[in-house]
Amino acid sequence: MNIKIASVDSLIIYFSDTISKETSLQVKSLYKSLKELNDEGLIEIIPSYTSLFISYDVFKYNFKSIKSFLEEQLKDLKSYEEDNSNIINIDVYYGEEVGLDLTRVATFANISVDEVIQLHSSKIYDVYAIGFLPGFAYLASIDEKIVVPRLESPRKITPKGSVSIADNQTAIYPQNSPGGWNVLGRTTFELFDKNLAKLSPLCIDSRIKFNPISKEEFLNQGGIL
Amino acid sequence: MSGFEVIKAGIFTLIQDRGRYNYTHLGVTTAGYLDEYSALWAHKLLDNDVNNNLLEITFSNVEFKSTGNTTLAITGAYCEFFINGILKPVWCSYDIKTGDIVKVGKFMSGSRVYLAVKNGFIIKKEFGSNSTSMKESLGGLSGDKLQNNDFLPFENTNIIVKKRIREDLLPKYENELTLRVILSCQEDSFKKEEKDKFFNSNFTVTSDFNRMACKLKGERIKSDLNGIISEGISFGAIQIPKDGQPIILLKERQTIGGYPKIGSVLSIDCFKLAQAKIGTIIRFEELGIEDGQNKIKDFYSNFF
Repeated sequence: MNIKIASVDSLIIYFSDTISKETSLQVKSLYKSLKELNDEGLIEIIPSYTSLFISYDVFKYNFKSIKSFLEEQLKDLKSYEEDNSNIINIDVYYGEEVGLDLTRVATFANISVDEVIQLHSSKIYDVYAIGFLPGFAYLASIDEKIVVPRLESPRKITPKGSVSIADNQTAIYPQNSPGGWNVLGRTTFELFDKNLAKLSPLCIDSRIKFNPISKEEFLNQGGIL
Repeated sequence: MSGFEVIKAGIFTLIQDRGRYNYTHLGVTTAGYLDEYSALWAHKLLDNDVNNNLLEITFSNVEFKSTGNTTLAITGAYCEFFINGILKPVWCSYDIKTGDIVKVGKFMSGSRVYLAVKNGFIIKKEFGSNSTSMKESLGGLSGDKLQNNDFLPFENTNIIVKKRIREDLLPKYENELTLRVILSCQEDSFKKEEKDKFFNSNFTVTSDFNRMACKLKGERIKSDLNGIISEGISFGAIQIPKDGQPIILLKERQTIGGYPKIGSVLSIDCFKLAQAKIGTIIRFEELGIEDGQNKIKDFYSNFF
């Protein structure tokens, strides 16, 4: 554990210098316990793969005092309990029309397209970070058989709802965006929506499972090919 | 209803307040006015609450017609400012009556004008803030910049005394700017000679300068790291990408990022940077955390 200055009124706690599920759970655990304190002196708290960023009110804390406060919190850090009640099931149409890189991934992995779909949709994924775009959640880890590099030249537009993979991660594009991830399918699930009370149905401790659906079901849900 | 009818919205006029702070964990930027010094002074001239909203005007040719009585304050960039065609000094407050035409013309120095009315414009907050963030289509009147024919409602208020700011507190926007920097995050990945280069050379502001970030051009600064695991980023963070050219992150920055950072520009110096122009010469000066925190406490004590 290493606490460093990030700016005049913020700091960052590094839990490890490598990405692992264990580290991610520590980040989530501290994130949750700090949120529960409802301390107005803590302004923004941004969890990521191996770190927790905190900006604070300098009228309430100085760097020394917040550092020792956090060190105390870290001492009592409870181990994070995974909760299967927050699994979010997301319907995905893994069709050739929307799974722009299904064949590329299958060829790369030397397996069939059906196997790619089966491998991608059989795991429960953890959120490691949210960012890049609002509601863009980095999910991991995908089965190592379908670990493929990013596209050599990114697409100018990866369509909204694209369910994609890159390296050992998977994610859904919350909106149309340039992107270099391999697209396997598409969902109508909204990751970022002004009409949702919390803006996004996801948070750092969500767990996600993808559920393959037919073209008809996808279209019935309002899906666009 | 009382308010401003927007005759000319200008190219990039945004409603901003202090920012939207509770959604960064979802990748939502805070937004908020870039130059807090000018914005907070506009509110202070009106005895406004610091959480009120105002307009951040980045290009000239903005014109409103008032349908009510209010007091407005104008700060930030020095510009030609007209009430009913009569040129008025900026960094002042003025009483406005029904039918008055308010116009922001040419900018002389500085890059962003702030225009506030008594108690702010009456606009429903979105997720805790009026700050416009076009990327997420949040805040403002409809998640967008101001448009011709928009209407900015305000509370009808009667005459408060005209105020201006003490001469010595008026900012000067010059062609050279020294920014104080607190070393941070990946500073250890910059060898001594790289830090020396960073603190002893001149950089210039490039055209890659917006509400999200300001990219500089100058000596190539090298980190021992190629990239880092994405982590939360602060206001003022100085990222050094592979090309070695510093990027200073501002109010509409992305929430996490994977470039090594050498330090962070003191927030109150970022407010000065917000008024810089392309070609402004930037120098960096190191500052300790304690000094930095005392300086920002002094700054905010004037306003809160």
